[in-house]
Amino acid sequence: MNAADPIIQISHINKYFGSFKALDDVSLDVTLGEKVVVLGPSGSGKSTLLRAINRLETISSGSIIVDGHDLYGPDEDINRIRMELGMVFQSFNLFKHKTVLENLTLAPIKLKKMEKGRAEEMAYALLEKVGIRDRADHYPVQLSGGQQQRVAIARALAMEPKIMLFDEPTSALDPEMIGEVLEVMITLAHEGMTMVVVTHEMGFAREVADQVVFMDDGAIVEQASPDSFFDHPVHARTRLFLDQIL
Amino acid sequence: MSDQEKIIEIGDGAAIPDPKDKGLISAWWIALIGTVSLLIILPLVKPDPYARVLSFVPDGILVTFKVTIASISLALVIGLLTGLGRLSKNRFINLIASLYVEVVRGVPLLVQLFYIYFALGRIVRVPDIVAAVIAMSFCYGAYMGEVFRAGIKSIDYGQTEASLSLGFNRRQTMAYVVLPQAWRTILPPVGNEFIALLKDTSLVSILAVADILRRGREYASESFNYFETYTMIALIYLLITLILSKLISNMEHRLSHYERR
Repeated sequence: MNAADPIIQISHINKYFGSFKALDDVSLDVTLGEKVVVLGPSGSGKSTLLRAINRLETISSGSIIVDGHDLYGPDEDINRIRMELGMVFQSFNLFKHKTVLENLTLAPIKLKKMEKGRAEEMAYALLEKVGIRDRADHYPVQLSGGQQQRVAIARALAMEPKIMLFDEPTSALDPEMIGEVLEVMITLAHEGMTMVVVTHEMGFAREVADQVVFMDDGAIVEQASPDSFFDHPVHARTRLFLDQIL
Repeated sequence: MSDQEKIIEIGDGAAIPDPKDKGLISAWWIALIGTVSLLIILPLVKPDPYARVLSFVPDGILVTFKVTIASISLALVIGLLTGLGRLSKNRFINLIASLYVEVVRGVPLLVQLFYIYFALGRIVRVPDIVAAVIAMSFCYGAYMGEVFRAGIKSIDYGQTEASLSLGFNRRQTMAYVVLPQAWRTILPPVGNEFIALLKDTSLVSILAVADILRRGREYASESFNYFETYTMIALIYLLITLILSKLISNMEHRLSHYERR
């Protein structure tokens, strides 16, 4: 793989739920270190697109290549590819039966055969980074939504992924907790992480995105830099969406 | 919707005392004190036959426990496999598991006992107690399968997705993430099944297995003290199930630690 090649290559993918077309001939390239923010009304297919990147959603046709690996290649191990793709969910999905620390160490210990002491050391460092080290021994249910989401980000980072996928990470949060999660994500972006983010946070998109993708009815309608996207949207549907949301 | 509200009710198992019920006037305490008092007072007041019944049945209690423990252990293994089979996307495995559950649920336990005991007896000669354990676990494995299936299904699919996204495969996800959580949901109905199974082992007294009930019958038919004998038998069963139900509810409380704020 060439260094200039995109780390994620999505080519002409289609996805049907029964007769409903959730993704309509979507193509998208993401280069290493790039931050792509996907916007769009609900039901536009943006979450489906994101989930297709780590095959939580299977596609009906087309191809997705992540870091040189074809997601549907016959010789590819999807579990290995997923280790390179951290994912953060709208509903956090922390392991409820594990403490915060254990949430972070489970996968490195079991999948990377990392020694427990080292895994915990790394976990503490990550918890420090997301500002929640003092809650290491708590169970997820004892944390606020914002804290849970920050732990979820740290859990994904514990596998040292090359790419981070965010599926509406702040949509389930109370307004006063959105800031703390976005702050962590912005830090991560500044460190050079490759990120694909589905969100409704326009401020975040403007500040962080290299590329804004607007989807509607399962298709990519407009794709541009944040400045031209927000200030000079080309398509009528984009303008309508921005009028409604801003 | 909280996890505490997820209740699986399967079978006609014994009522489990509420772990929060610490009062001395709970139904459980009244039953326990009543049972223990009767078990002490009756033999004291009328040693013959009450005390003699008590000295006659202990080896039966041991047999009942052996059959129960062996059957529940086997039934748990069968149940886990059946539950996973019933959730399997593999059509063949799914069909086999479902067929097993359907058949077992449709045939009375006593008939199954007779069938396995005598059918098995024609093929291989196994000790009576082994035949009894096989029959009991074959039957209860199907019920356990439904308990496991419901317990696994009660775990939010987000947990599975989070695990898969980290790179765990399906089997690891089941072992590290889903089953440890499902176990808490599963424990109350498994406890009920355990107690129900213990009571149902009295059926094996019909086969030549010398459990509590059979020892009682032996004593009664020698002494003709039917009323006194079966009074003591009933009290012994009651004492055992009361203690077990308390143990199970305590265990359930301990397992729920991660849900407490």
